[in-house]
Amino acid sequence: MNLNPFWSMSANTSRKQRTDSEEQSGHSEQRASPARLPFGKKQLPPIPKNAAPITKPASTGTLAPSANGTHASYGPFYLEYSLLAEFTLVIKQKLPGIYVQPSYKSALMWFGVIFIRHGLYQDGVFKFTVYIPDNYPDGECPKLVFDIPVFHPLVDPVSGELDVRRAFTKWRRNHNHIWQVLMYARTIFYKINTTEPLNPEAAVLYEKDVQLFKSKVVDSVKLCNSHLFDQPKMDDPYAISFSPWNPAVHEEAKERMFTYKRRPDDHHKGTQVSGLSWVKPGSMQPFSKDDSPPQS
Amino acid sequence: MERDKNPHWLSRLNPRGPGSRTGRSAAPSGPCTADPETCLMVFENHWRQVSWVLEQQEPSSSSDDLTAVRNHTDQMLCLLAEERPAESAEGGAAPMGPILELVVTENILERLVQWHLRRGLDSDSQGALLKLFEMLIGQSQQQPLLQHTAVLHPLLRLLGACADPDLGCPLALENSLVLLLNQICVSMARQPVVLEMLFRAAPAQQGSTNLLIFSLLVPFIHRDGAIGQQARDALLLVMAASASNEAVARYIAENSYFCPVLATGLSALYSSLPRKIEVRGDDWHALRREDWMSVSSLVLFMNSLEFCNAVVQIAHPLVRSQLLDYLHNGFLVPVMGPALHKSSVDEMIASTAYLDLFLRSVSETSLLKTFLRFILLHRHDNDTILDTLLTRISSNSRLCMVSLSLFRTLLSLNCEDVMLQLVLRYLLPCTHVMLSQRQAIRVTDLYGKSADKFLSLIPECCRLNAASSAERDEDGAFWGKGGHPSIESPAPPRPSTPSRLAFFIRQQSSGGGPGGGGPSTPTSTEPPQSGASHPPCPDSPMHQQLANTECLDWDSGYLEYLKDSRQGIEICSWACRDWSAPYDGENPSPNVAAPPPPPPTSNPTMAMFPEHFSLQQGGSGSTPPPGQQRLLEQAPGEPQLPGDSNGQGISIEAFTQELRELEDRVRERGRAACQQEETARECLSSERRQPQQEEEQQPPSVPEPKPPTGDTKGDGPALVFGSPARPLNKPASQPYTGPFMVVLFAKLENMLQNSLYVNILLTGIVAQLACYPQPLLRSFLLNTNMVFQPSVKSLIQVLGSVKNRIEAFAASHEDFPAMLKKAQQYLVARGKVDWADSPAAVPNLRRSDSLVKSRKPSLGELILRHTNSPTRARHAAQLALAHVRDGGQSLHSALFKGGAGAGSLEKQAEALRVKNAVYCAVVFCEFLKELAALAQEHAVTLPFPHSQEAEE
Repeated sequence: MNLNPFWSMSANTSRKQRTDSEEQSGHSEQRASPARLPFGKKQLPPIPKNAAPITKPASTGTLAPSANGTHASYGPFYLEYSLLAEFTLVIKQKLPGIYVQPSYKSALMWFGVIFIRHGLYQDGVFKFTVYIPDNYPDGECPKLVFDIPVFHPLVDPVSGELDVRRAFTKWRRNHNHIWQVLMYARTIFYKINTTEPLNPEAAVLYEKDVQLFKSKVVDSVKLCNSHLFDQPKMDDPYAISFSPWNPAVHEEAKERMFTYKRRPDDHHKGTQVSGLSWVKPGSMQPFSKDDSPPQS
Repeated sequence: MERDKNPHWLSRLNPRGPGSRTGRSAAPSGPCTADPETCLMVFENHWRQVSWVLEQQEPSSSSDDLTAVRNHTDQMLCLLAEERPAESAEGGAAPMGPILELVVTENILERLVQWHLRRGLDSDSQGALLKLFEMLIGQSQQQPLLQHTAVLHPLLRLLGACADPDLGCPLALENSLVLLLNQICVSMARQPVVLEMLFRAAPAQQGSTNLLIFSLLVPFIHRDGAIGQQARDALLLVMAASASNEAVARYIAENSYFCPVLATGLSALYSSLPRKIEVRGDDWHALRREDWMSVSSLVLFMNSLEFCNAVVQIAHPLVRSQLLDYLHNGFLVPVMGPALHKSSVDEMIASTAYLDLFLRSVSETSLLKTFLRFILLHRHDNDTILDTLLTRISSNSRLCMVSLSLFRTLLSLNCEDVMLQLVLRYLLPCTHVMLSQRQAIRVTDLYGKSADKFLSLIPECCRLNAASSAERDEDGAFWGKGGHPSIESPAPPRPSTPSRLAFFIRQQSSGGGPGGGGPSTPTSTEPPQSGASHPPCPDSPMHQQLANTECLDWDSGYLEYLKDSRQGIEICSWACRDWSAPYDGENPSPNVAAPPPPPPTSNPTMAMFPEHFSLQQGGSGSTPPPGQQRLLEQAPGEPQLPGDSNGQGISIEAFTQELRELEDRVRERGRAACQQEETARECLSSERRQPQQEEEQQPPSVPEPKPPTGDTKGDGPALVFGSPARPLNKPASQPYTGPFMVVLFAKLENMLQNSLYVNILLTGIVAQLACYPQPLLRSFLLNTNMVFQPSVKSLIQVLGSVKNRIEAFAASHEDFPAMLKKAQQYLVARGKVDWADSPAAVPNLRRSDSLVKSRKPSLGELILRHTNSPTRARHAAQLALAHVRDGGQSLHSALFKGGAGAGSLEKQAEALRVKNAVYCAVVFCEFLKELAALAQEHAVTLPFPHSQEAEE
């Protein structure tokens, strides 16, 4: 599929989520997003017009003015752009079955959902939130918290937090990226690790009584999926929410997602001649593609 | 005829309606509206009388007969033209009307024409017949007359007479002839079968040339005025009709002179263009539409070029490729090539500006390709045109600006071939980076480190905050003196030269849309699709800032830069999505990359005397180095310059010629009192001035890589091939980033001495380059952490040295902060004036927060708004320019009190030098912000898929 799901998401008028093509029948979004971003723009509430996304105190309490920049007034731009760059990397990775979207209120909080397509957790649809420390990229590794504590050895049964730190003992800028955290969150559902568990019960069961473990997992998946249409936990316009398939709303949105072609945002330069190339691939010579050069 | 117009010619060729010709054609006065039977009877009646004359044995020479025949013929043809055939009953072929039927069965027209020919066709009758046929074809909308040989053949016979070498077509009848031909072509465009018939019928009728219409039209291709336009329109119709007809196309290509006439005609027209462009403001650097509309020879040329473009657009591939060949070999190589190598500076300026204009005007890809191939590959005296153009960047102010403008146009094409030759092939081997750094080529600036680095180069002395209110009051007084812009006044006094910044930065969008005339509303000042005259980031907010305060905060406007950088990068990535390779340091592989040409070992114009050229330019204020002094004293033309004579002849010639001219002017002007900047500037070179502090600190920069330092060897493939024309006496592995980068960096390093306008163009080009997403280029320009080979200068190094110079300058001028503030205010004010002029042009939001946009409604548009009358336009232009000049003067005196009025050359020169330096400081800071924003935006840009992939 050429269509990048992340971009198509953003291309969508409403802000959200669709499942993979095989899973899309049941659910989709319902809430209208604030008319904030132009069509096809990137999702990170982009520019700190007043540096609001960063500095505005939000409920998460993770936000504080950036201590990052040497040039104070550009500081917000650096943090915003670093996160935007991380988000761009996520898009480039095209992680299977994972969708994320930064929150409207803070670039440091990303909403996500993961679809598990096979294995023990097959058919699981788990919503989660990523919290990025405000001294990113120099701080701890991001936190990833499932909305509903899914039954898993590495997921805290009370808070729903995934044990990310075991994979990123020290968060190293330039080497560690948020997409890796997302990738890790996916991996745990396919390859179960029971050492030093946050949920000892799950770990023990997996070791001792796989059948019971499996049935508990099935129950957990059912539970999660039964809350799929709940209001998002976080009151944020960009929070991911699902709704039953409503052709009146979703058909058109789907259609647009599939037909959308990203183009540069240039209002007045439509048909200019540009992007020419007559270089034969591999030749590194100008006009090498040419068949009939003028004889001079 | 700009690219954006994308003229589909055919749409414009609106066949003239019947109404448009009343009173001109043979008086049609018959009872045209009568019922068909009556018409037929009247027609038969006329015919009887005519045939009586025609059937006489001896062709009558009596003028009575002639008059009678003419009168009757007029009536008959009018009836024929007006005849409406009955509706066909069962949808079969429409039956001929009774009159047409009679014309066909009796072969009336043939007999008429034969009769005229027999009795000897005088020009009077010839003209009458031409008009008659033109009327007939033009007005008979009801029946496809030309499809009947009884009409077609006599017509061809008449035309044959016009082509007859003995008879020919008298001058007075040319208009009628072309009009008739035009009508035939219009009619043919409607009924393609006619083309076939013309083509088939022709040999029998006319012998040698079987597309008579065509050969009759060709001589009029380059004609001035309406007749030329009609001929070109008609030819285009033939082209369009023949686009799918191989036989006709082959005929045009093989048996007609169409293509050679077209191409060589361009050459002839080019040779009549002005050799010297009369330049107005000191910021002039490119031909805009309003510049050339009043130059008739240029208009003529542009019409023909536009025609070529249109032919290429619609003609059969056979014709197209032949035309392109002829254009290359019959115009570009023999005419453009030498013109670009002319020895006088004026001619260089003119030819460069022309080439730039042509490039911006051509919209057809294959025609553009022909031009680019010429520029990139054609060698004139061993150097490619590109080589020659590159050396001009380092030359004096005006030539430099015109050349920069041309390169801006080239860059705006986002053409892989151009970028390969200019930059990428030098970076491909990756010898410019340390081996260990090659991985870093693809790394993007994820955490804003590079951006931070760029911003950190903003000199401390430029980090001023907004002016205090008291200072602002004082500024009010200043404005009062300089003439505060007021909206009501018919010609608001415009403040000063920097107010032309807008005019200057703006691209030559050449406001004329398809309709020609200038934009009538301010909103249309940016044409909806303003073609390739727009490089990817011409709209980037260059070097100007917030208009909220009277002053620029050093850190203001960054958001605008981010926004524009994003757009610039996206447009550029989009445009480059179909390139053959990503140029990321791996593909193409550095190891297979052919070694690029080595640096020129001796290039007098570039390497030896870079400072000479800056002498002339906007107040560099340098004292000529000793070597130059010697040259100044030498007789021009003496082959004194070292360097290989092979291939450098032209440049030396140009150089010495320039010196000669310089000398002359210097002598001439040196005596006169130098009241004006310009004079002052030129006097600089004649005066012996005390070498200035800075010049001592900073010897003439040699825009060549430093000699190899030894430890760079072995890191990269040994140079095996090389242009045989160049001696290979340099170590083979010396990294070389190519003449373009070298000359740009050299010029950049010299920013403090450049004029404001040079700096704006220059930084604009570097920013344009920095929009390119190819990691090789991006890392070279924007990755400040990259470690290059010692001999390779990085952008950040160059900028660092500019920063030091600015700081040194500021330290030596205690009033620097005040001057800087004034210069900033000036640029801001300029933007405000422009907004004030066109309140409707932009949403308020923008207006208040960004003077960045000030360039849009610019002087050029103000002029264009008056273009209903050319004289008014000129007048307006003169007025506007006068204000700019006055403003410049008052800025000058206001900024630098005491320096100017004194009449002392020394002081004026010094003032100019100071002025350039202060403006440089402003531009420099903005440039750094722009680069920082570009670095940040690159990290968040997603690549576009190849267009073929995207279509799947």
